[in-house]
Amino acid sequence: MRDLFPNRWWTALWLACLVLLAVLPFVANDYVVGIGLSVLMWLALTQSWCLLSKMTGYVSLGHVVFYGLGAYLVVITWQQIPLPLAIVGAGALAALLAALVGLPVLRVRGPYFVILTFGLAELVKYTITWAESASGMASRILFGAPDLQVIYFSMFALAVIAVAMLTWVGSSRFGHGLRSLRENEEAAETLGVPVVRYKLIAFVLGAAIPGMVGGVMALRSTYFVVGQVFDPMISVTVIAMAILGGGDNARGPLLGVLFLSLLSELLWANAPLLYMVILGLVLIVFVLVLPQGIMGLLERKKAPSTQLPNDAAQASPKQGGTP
Amino acid sequence: MTVLETLLSGQLLFAALVTGSLYALIALGLNLVYGTMRLLNVAHGEVVMLGAYAAYWAFTALGLSPLLVAPVVAAAGGLLGYALYRGIFKRLLADSSAAQVQRMESNSLLLFFGLSIVLQNAAALVFTPNNRAYNYLGTVYHLGSVSMTGNRLAALCVAGTCCLLVAVFLGRSVFGLATRAVIERREAAFIVGVDVDRVQWLSFVLGFASAALAGVLVSMLGQFSPFSGFPYTIAGFIVIILGGLGNAMAGLLAALLLGVIETYGVALTSANMRSMLLYGAFVAALLLFPNGVFARRAAAR
Repeated sequence: MRDLFPNRWWTALWLACLVLLAVLPFVANDYVVGIGLSVLMWLALTQSWCLLSKMTGYVSLGHVVFYGLGAYLVVITWQQIPLPLAIVGAGALAALLAALVGLPVLRVRGPYFVILTFGLAELVKYTITWAESASGMASRILFGAPDLQVIYFSMFALAVIAVAMLTWVGSSRFGHGLRSLRENEEAAETLGVPVVRYKLIAFVLGAAIPGMVGGVMALRSTYFVVGQVFDPMISVTVIAMAILGGGDNARGPLLGVLFLSLLSELLWANAPLLYMVILGLVLIVFVLVLPQGIMGLLERKKAPSTQLPNDAAQASPKQGGTP
Repeated sequence: MTVLETLLSGQLLFAALVTGSLYALIALGLNLVYGTMRLLNVAHGEVVMLGAYAAYWAFTALGLSPLLVAPVVAAAGGLLGYALYRGIFKRLLADSSAAQVQRMESNSLLLFFGLSIVLQNAAALVFTPNNRAYNYLGTVYHLGSVSMTGNRLAALCVAGTCCLLVAVFLGRSVFGLATRAVIERREAAFIVGVDVDRVQWLSFVLGFASAALAGVLVSMLGQFSPFSGFPYTIAGFIVIILGGLGNAMAGLLAALLLGVIETYGVALTSANMRSMLLYGAFVAALLLFPNGVFARRAAAR
């Protein structure tokens, strides 16, 4: 096969990441472990975002709402219920929100879906901010949060679950159903794909993970501010990572996550505003010049004739994620 | 004051009118760009923000009256719109077949979103993220029991006049007819000889110019920062979802309705609820009209 980036390279890359991230807490100092933690966090968030948004083309700009809700649940139940229960509860709460709003929200299509998810996340953010200030809580402080290693390996587990879930969905009948509705929802429905149910399941599955990720990340900082865990820039970063990577399997987002989290590590501390400008530029350039991301570039080399021009935010259906 | 007195006071009505007229002006630009090209410009509020900074610097550094520099700022905004259209969006629009339209819409939204992030943070880098405000036309006028400051009165007059002018222009002129034709059916308009390209670039120019002008008015009314543009985008979207495409008068009414909801909502609850009300109205409007105004368009076909 005239493959520019053969499958065994991918396997090697995944294995290298897995081993490196697994041994990191035993060999590196807290600062480096912190970087590893943020890579794992973005990996889990981006992979779970792809479950709905990459597979079906319903681009959600509100992924942060699940993250924030999970963090909020863990913070308000702090030292009242056992922590593992709170983390699982965070995932369940996020999934519940997705299940509740899923049906009306997923009726909305195209750009309206994008801004609706953004508006919904902001609405939840302002509602919780208001509830907190009404109860006299400007911010909360967590005492006795667990060790960094515990947080790290919880996040490790979540990232592995998220990658495994996207990979499994990608090759399943369910995943093919999701892809079919990305190409043409009416046609998919006519052919008997249970469109509404599939979209809802993908939305709920994709919400549980960021809920738990938010719950775990709440333990990382001892100081809790609503505006921080519901920061819309988290959603934007997730989209940028997924688009930068491209493709609708677990591979593309990995590249995007590695690139952008390292960039943010370089710039965030010293020049956060500059980092945001660069993030915005990355978004513009990739949508404009390379809407299929790095994966699209690699696969274009492989099969130049099958690429559609201007084939937006999604990869072409052909070489999808089927191994 | 009792609740009833609050509701009936002319003061609140005046405040709602000022807010509503600003929203109308902002929504007008969004409406034109979305209507003619199906481009959802989420960076619209950032143009408003840049207009506010332009007026601020003109007033504090050069001592120029904001109302005098307003036409210049509007022209600069229009120029920015023209540059963006020629530089980026013309190409994007040209190679989009019918099957690709929905995908192109989502893509252009991400593009504008990137632009919005770049403008916000670049402004924060250059101008510092601090809030800015200046005093201009602070004199208070009384009309019955209503007291109005000069700057609010001026903002209301300018925004209202501009909206009415554009409404008449769209309703009566040949360009307005062409614009409405493109909004209704782009392909058909092209076939009967409408210069679609000209309509599109003029819509960009007019849309960005009106946003920059709204920015000048925003800066006269109160504090603003590099990040205060986005809520105006959201308000503009609510207005075009409620008011429909290409119908300036319906948009004006929808904007006044939103101004009333926001002003009275805040008066009845608290200032902390402003964002909740705005986003609540936004989510409700989108859920009630799942495909926005697009659904009505499709049904009309």
